Amino acid sequence: MSDGTGSDPGLGTTDALAAAPVSGGAIRSARRGWDRDGRDRDGRDRERRGPMAKLRRLGIGTSWPAKVSWVFLVAIVLVALAGPLLISADPVRQTSSAMLPFGSPGHLLGTDDLGRDELARLVHGARPLLFVAFASTALAAVIGIGVGLLAGYAGGVVEQVLMRAVDLALAFPSILLVILLVAAAGPGMASLVVGVGVSLAPGLARLARALAARETARDYIVAARLGGTRTPRVLVQEILPNIAGPMVAQVVMTLSVAAGFAAGLSYLGLGIQPPTPDWGYMVQAGQEFLYSAPRLVVLPAALTLMFVVACNFVGDDLRDALDPKGTA
Amino acid sequence: MSALPLPRLRRPHRPRSERVDTLWAMFRRLLGIPVVLFALATLVFIAMRLLPGSPTASLAGGGTNLTAAEIAQNEARASEALGLDQPLLTQYGTYLDNLVHLRFGESFFGSNSVLSLLGDALPGTIELTLAAMTVAVLLGVVTGVVAALRKGTWIDTTTRTVATVSFSLPWFALGVIAIVVFGVWLRWLPVLGRLPSSLDYHPTTNFVLLDAILQNRFELVGPWIQHLILPATTLALSMAGYITRIVRASVLDVLGDDFVRTARMKGLTESAVIRRHVLRNSWLPIVTVLGLQFGSLLGGSVITETVFSYGGVGRLLVQGVLQRDYPVVQGAALAIALLFVLVNYAVDMLYMILDPRIRKG
Repeated sequence: MSDGTGSDPGLGTTDALAAAPVSGGAIRSARRGWDRDGRDRDGRDRERRGPMAKLRRLGIGTSWPAKVSWVFLVAIVLVALAGPLLISADPVRQTSSAMLPFGSPGHLLGTDDLGRDELARLVHGARPLLFVAFASTALAAVIGIGVGLLAGYAGGVVEQVLMRAVDLALAFPSILLVILLVAAAGPGMASLVVGVGVSLAPGLARLARALAARETARDYIVAARLGGTRTPRVLVQEILPNIAGPMVAQVVMTLSVAAGFAAGLSYLGLGIQPPTPDWGYMVQAGQEFLYSAPRLVVLPAALTLMFVVACNFVGDDLRDALDPKGTA
Repeated sequence: MSALPLPRLRRPHRPRSERVDTLWAMFRRLLGIPVVLFALATLVFIAMRLLPGSPTASLAGGGTNLTAAEIAQNEARASEALGLDQPLLTQYGTYLDNLVHLRFGESFFGSNSVLSLLGDALPGTIELTLAAMTVAVLLGVVTGVVAALRKGTWIDTTTRTVATVSFSLPWFALGVIAIVVFGVWLRWLPVLGRLPSSLDYHPTTNFVLLDAILQNRFELVGPWIQHLILPATTLALSMAGYITRIVRASVLDVLGDDFVRTARMKGLTESAVIRRHVLRNSWLPIVTVLGLQFGSLLGGSVITETVFSYGGVGRLLVQGVLQRDYPVVQGAALAIALLFVLVNYAVDMLYMILDPRIRKG
């Protein structure tokens, strides 16, 4: 995945290459008018245009799992945003036609035990999961990067205290922490976001501290401080942009964990409460009908798995693109 | 204007002998165990009492299908069990005092003592996590060695990709899909519980293997293993991914070394070279992963036990939370924390056995 051998049109072309003896491959590609290096029939540079070529130059979507994952992720987000508007069936309304199989007229994916349309429930169910995953990841990023920046920049006692707390939180089973938080605050979307966000922050804090400590020792930071820049400004305008690449990649990885946690807690009945459709809760409800209608379990579970895996590949792809030296 | 503070220069690293360093680290970790236990107990206390939302209200069952009278009754019981009328510091003192004397109280439902509930549930969780660790090591070592020996081929690439993906797979989705595929469609394995209900099992220790020996009933062992396979594998996958990467790296690290060439020249078979010379190098990092990842494994067991209706502490915890059974939640959370600390201690001891440098010192 991280071999970085994606073709690189427009960048890797030199005169020496253009003058190289023509091989069979070059002849074949000459028939197409251009070859993989983006040279045309006469060996001149030919810039490929369009959004896809732009992505390529950024180094995004270099392997096929990464491409598939990007497409899937974008599709899921689009479905979550627009899907409920396009689908007329009500995900909550119960009807008398319960447990219809796949491909029933009017119910493409059938209905569940209460006669609710499965397709509508899956489409509507993407929303809470995505919302919790994105919101809790954002919360984790704010807390984690804030703490990490401060610890890495300040050093000394501040760093020691903050990082010992982070170590303790990292060692403790984070899902247990979330369960306790949710148990104390009562189940629901808000406590789910806070619980997942807080429990995932330490991992990001550790990386942010390491990166910030490295930057702090550099000359440009010393220069900024000598120039009288205030600490918050140094942190946000000098250090943050310089650690953003690896941090973004790590945050996307965190998104996949957050999605898994959120769905898992909903599965346990501690997250999004029925009747709001949600993939995690749908799996739990469907487990009653494992033998008669395994689709009620398989569809939401598989979608959750695919979403998490896609986040993973996309995070990995972003890491290759944004952090080629592999510091994260 | 006063001089601006410039970044502190970090003191240059003072080299010390490796042995002293490791011993010192070991010593500190041993000292740390009571401290960590205390910190975890405090964390549970804080989670239960200081967070927004009155614990009595949420524990008593707001939003569930209990009647108002039941909720009021639960609230009174929770308030009494928590001693909420006392000042916070007094509550904390009583809490620690109860912990030291192993007084965990009684469940709100059926008036079982929490200690006896834990006694029933802990063996299940210990069996499951140990089985998961075994599966993870087996799976991780085999795939890691294969990936290293086939470095650069599609086998290597695929293995590494799968290993990376497996870090964050959600256990519940993995579990139910395993149930559907292997239990419902293929019907290869049982999917619910620790043992089939048709077997007449009267626990002595509640460790099935131990009971099978004690009660001389070896027919228990087969079904017990069959029931463990799916939950343990579900739980093991993320840990196996880490082990795969570590084994691959450490095998690649030594594969070109002189002693490996010597071993081959002695005429040892390739498998003997790998087993006795190359893999030696991997055991320490593997043990490190086991220790570091055990926390997440325990967290995963909470979900996995629920998915497979497997009687363990995790399921006890989830049921406790859903039924607002305050003493059970506290007891189960503490039991998981204790298990976590003990395993980390065991990992430290394993270091001593595996690394002769520490033993000699």
